[in-house]
Amino acid sequence: MAIELELRGITKRYPGVIANDAVDLTVRSGEIHAIVGENGAGKTTLMSMLYGLFPPDEGEILIRGEPVVFSSALDAIESGLGMVHQAFKLFPTLTVAENVVFRAEPTRRGLIDREAGHAQVRALADRYGLAVETTALVENLPVGVLQRVEILKALYRDARILILDEPTAVLTPQERDMLFDVIRRLREAGRTILFITHKLGEVMAVSDGVTVLRNGRSVAELVTAETTPAEITRYMVGRDVVVTPRPARRSPGESVLSVSDVTVLGEHDREVVQGATFDVRSGEVVGVAAVAGNGQSEMIEAIAGLRPVAAGTLTLAGVDVTHASVADRRAAGLAYVPEDRHGVGTAHNATVSENLLLGYQREAAISRGGWLRLDEVRRRATELVVRFAIKSPSVTNPVASLSGGNLQKLVLARELAREAPLLIAEQPTRGVDVGAIEFIHGQLLDYRDAGGALLLVSAELSEVLALSTRILVMFEGHVVAELDPAAVDEQEVGRYMTGAHLTATHA
Amino acid sequence: MFDQLFDSALLDSALRAMIPILLAALGGAICERAGVFQIALEGMMLAGAFAAVAGSFFAQSSAMGILFAVGGGVAVSLILAYGAVTKRGDAIVLGISINLFAFGITGFLLPQIFGVRGVFQHDRIDGLERISIPLLADIPVIGPVLFRTTVTAYLSFLLVPALWLFLFRTPIGLRLRGVGERPAAAATLGVSPHRYKYAAVIASGVLTGLAGAQLALGNVVQFAENMSSGRGWVAVVAVMLGRAHPTGVLGASLLFAFAEALGFRFQGNGLPVQITDALPFVVTLLALVIARKRFARLLDLTTASA
Amino acid sequence: MPEWSVRYVAGLLRGAATSPVTHSLLLAFVAGGVIVALTGQDPLVAYREMFGGAVDGSGLRNTLSRAIPIVGMALAVSVCFRAGVINLGGEGQMVVGGLAGTVVAIYTPGPGAFVIPLALLAGAAAGAAWALLPAFAQTRLALPILLTSLLLNYVGRAVTGYLVRFPLADVSVTLATTRQVPESARMPKLPIFGGVSLSLLLVLVLVVAMAVVYARSVVGYETKMSGFSGRFARYGGVAVERQTVAVMAVSGAIGGAIGTHLIIGDALRFIEGELVLSGLAWTGLLVSLLAANRPILILGAGLLFSGLQIGGLAMQRNADISWRLAQVLQALVIIAVASRMSLRPRRRREADSVEVEELAVEPARVGQV
Repeated sequence: MAIELELRGITKRYPGVIANDAVDLTVRSGEIHAIVGENGAGKTTLMSMLYGLFPPDEGEILIRGEPVVFSSALDAIESGLGMVHQAFKLFPTLTVAENVVFRAEPTRRGLIDREAGHAQVRALADRYGLAVETTALVENLPVGVLQRVEILKALYRDARILILDEPTAVLTPQERDMLFDVIRRLREAGRTILFITHKLGEVMAVSDGVTVLRNGRSVAELVTAETTPAEITRYMVGRDVVVTPRPARRSPGESVLSVSDVTVLGEHDREVVQGATFDVRSGEVVGVAAVAGNGQSEMIEAIAGLRPVAAGTLTLAGVDVTHASVADRRAAGLAYVPEDRHGVGTAHNATVSENLLLGYQREAAISRGGWLRLDEVRRRATELVVRFAIKSPSVTNPVASLSGGNLQKLVLARELAREAPLLIAEQPTRGVDVGAIEFIHGQLLDYRDAGGALLLVSAELSEVLALSTRILVMFEGHVVAELDPAAVDEQEVGRYMTGAHLTATHA
Repeated sequence: MFDQLFDSALLDSALRAMIPILLAALGGAICERAGVFQIALEGMMLAGAFAAVAGSFFAQSSAMGILFAVGGGVAVSLILAYGAVTKRGDAIVLGISINLFAFGITGFLLPQIFGVRGVFQHDRIDGLERISIPLLADIPVIGPVLFRTTVTAYLSFLLVPALWLFLFRTPIGLRLRGVGERPAAAATLGVSPHRYKYAAVIASGVLTGLAGAQLALGNVVQFAENMSSGRGWVAVVAVMLGRAHPTGVLGASLLFAFAEALGFRFQGNGLPVQITDALPFVVTLLALVIARKRFARLLDLTTASA
Repeated sequence: MPEWSVRYVAGLLRGAATSPVTHSLLLAFVAGGVIVALTGQDPLVAYREMFGGAVDGSGLRNTLSRAIPIVGMALAVSVCFRAGVINLGGEGQMVVGGLAGTVVAIYTPGPGAFVIPLALLAGAAAGAAWALLPAFAQTRLALPILLTSLLLNYVGRAVTGYLVRFPLADVSVTLATTRQVPESARMPKLPIFGGVSLSLLLVLVLVVAMAVVYARSVVGYETKMSGFSGRFARYGGVAVERQTVAVMAVSGAIGGAIGTHLIIGDALRFIEGELVLSGLAWTGLLVSLLAANRPILILGAGLLFSGLQIGGLAMQRNADISWRLAQVLQALVIIAVASRMSLRPRRRREADSVEVEELAVEPARVGQV
């Protein structure tokens, strides 16, 4: 088979970091080629250069044997590349068709020919089995459909090589299988697919060849049929990693958080959480599994006091906090590691010390009569930085310069130091490197074993399964199932997450 | 009472009050659509008014006045474009300081160029002519109001549908809206947010310049210090109330203009000028309260807490 | 001189030389010079008159006197800006407070030691009340303070104008004005530089007090965090809404007291439209921006801008160049600085929201401040 795409010695350096170090990649025409590597291995940097978002410092890119130099994504698009970014690059208030034809609009007498646009997009969608409503506004569509719009955008521009960056991260197992069907259909139509992932099951299921990246280098090129997940893992991390859940040292104690029949309103006063009822007891981890947008974020915000509770009651360590202020909830025993650690969990321009102070500034040990004891503030900050191995030049540096892993450690340090009876951890390991993940998991389990009640929300099903004592599944605002992680697998949890169990019971 | 208040003279003064606000607000709407927070309308309008008078005075031609006004508006708009787009500076800080800059520079140039303080009036300033459109101007009540007016007024009428067509039916308009909503997404498809934002800010410079010309050569024929007197800010509110939609902006501008004209009328009926001067601003504030649900985005932009 | 002090001074100079503020000042003066030259005047003469006029003769006294309201209004706005609240209503708060203070000063009998503080308090209370309107409009009705506070300036101007033209008018003069503030209710003068209002001392105390509160107090910390990121502050238990109301009230109170000073310590009559003529509230706002809302720096920047204006008046007298050049220069400085500063937390670029560690080393973030 002919070589469709070749990267030779691609190198990209940033101050203090080599993001890509002489990466080689060879992809054959009509192949589904997986690029795997841990977070931080350099996958996204490599793909961004391939897509012309910024130039490599060294190395060359060849398409069908011809060297190409891209100065923008537009060049890449014209050379037949299409990319589906992990964070979708769509315009929410425009229609599906407008999003697809953007900058390649069919026109008639200078005006956009909207009928032609819809017809062309619909034809393309039908051909590859991408079910979309072309007149729908993008802001109203679920993520699975958004991804199809992104794929359509690439196909509309006649992409011969399609790059999918972590495409399954936002999908349910069922949506994932649909995506794989689409990918296979594209391969049959002669297109080449680059599939970026860190999930080995997907590599084995869909790819023809695999390139493994580690620390910015390409460490292996394998044929999928001739390799095993264990071999790929060894290349990915340089050692064998087995995620073994550490068993709880004690059985769960008393209820710390009691959520009773809670309803929460979202935009346009829609009930995004309806009648949620559950407990989190000391010494246990309750995992919440849900597809993004099924009310789990709003429910957590309501528990944390950032969103009002419309009906029902919340009890925290024996205190009714249904309508309490954030400060009162924290005083009652709440610690919270929020999903958005950049916008909510930290203030970028504030120093490490200032970031570590939040929530403590009115405590007796820290302030007296409204005045901060600055030496104590500093001492505490230094202590936490050391204890949690947060890499920062000093506690007076703004946190903007910290890496994602260190930022997350900072948030975790601040919240764990409260020694609060309840800890809510939302996406605690998203986007952090392997070392930090192990550290964070260790800290969370230590918290559990010390008698803490942990409410864990994570998009990583494997994380939820590995850490949880019990799993709650949310679907369309309801808690639809409570599962024992020892008794279920990802597929089973996935069925509840998509509401498939509902149709099954009714049928 | 109502017969006295609502007649074609009132319509006429409302229309005259509306043109500057509408022109500036349409400029603001373009910026809003392109994702540039535009609160320098007040200063750009003032600079336009000064340049209009200067151009008209020196060339003794209202056409040159309009040309100068456009030049003045564009010149000031370029400061905003450079600061906010090229240097990625804070559009709010820039907007405030540009307004103060325009206030200062017109106040400085007035005595330096014309040797007067406060107000500059002169026979040689050529005001905008009222152009009658045959037949249409003879329609009772609205005819003389809508079809016997200045070229800038006609332009502003045409701009409302033209801008609608541009924004919602042309490829460039689609791209402009895309840039305003998700610049990064537009950039990956080869649409340069920089270029579109620059174009939007300059377009607002052109339109506020025209607004200034209408103010200083149409509504009156003179330059008075700080003569924009809050109209640019009212235009900012009109953009928000009208959701940066041409017809919505037209409606909001009309509302504020009627308040101004009514205030003027009440003044004739014996109400103190201090009270009637406040009327447009009070109406603007009330309109904000009534339509408050629409301000989520602006609030998000202007507060750290959203 | 010991070596460390040489190094310290050298460090200061190097810091000043590389500071964006210094560059902005230079840029503004160059641009201002070009503008002067374009109007057919000699920029060097203009600047010589300006700098000289700020300190020569009665210049220093006038510079200090004008610095009182400029620094005061800058302190007022800094309270809000620091907390991420964009209060553009300083002018209205100053005017409304100023009239209230004036009325108390005129109509309250008693010794100055009683009437003057009472007038300042009344001015502060009225300024605070005026500032609370936009504050509640934001917290209760979700209307941006930026717009409502600004629009209320025009309303405040009109309301005070009406009051001094009719109910409070001094009918013995043709101007729309209140009566003169009686001798006993006037702010005493300090015997320095030929007589500067005692308010200078009050402003200096305020500078120090606010510097300490900003740096060392719990509320100073909480407001600063709100300014960096309101969502962060709220998540940490700061009652952001209540804080918005509080900072607006404090800001309005300072503005109202300054407005009162402008009458009882300076003009002695509240004349319609007079208080807004020289744009002191707006100058104060620019000063706070230049000083990054830090009280000690506000004092320095306030003296600088005050000097520019007083020097500008001398330039106008001696070289026939309008003092408004000072306003042009002030605005230009902030325009030049503005590309490097923000009232709000900088929005994270879209690419940054991608939850991938690798992005931490991509240019989008590397290039960010």
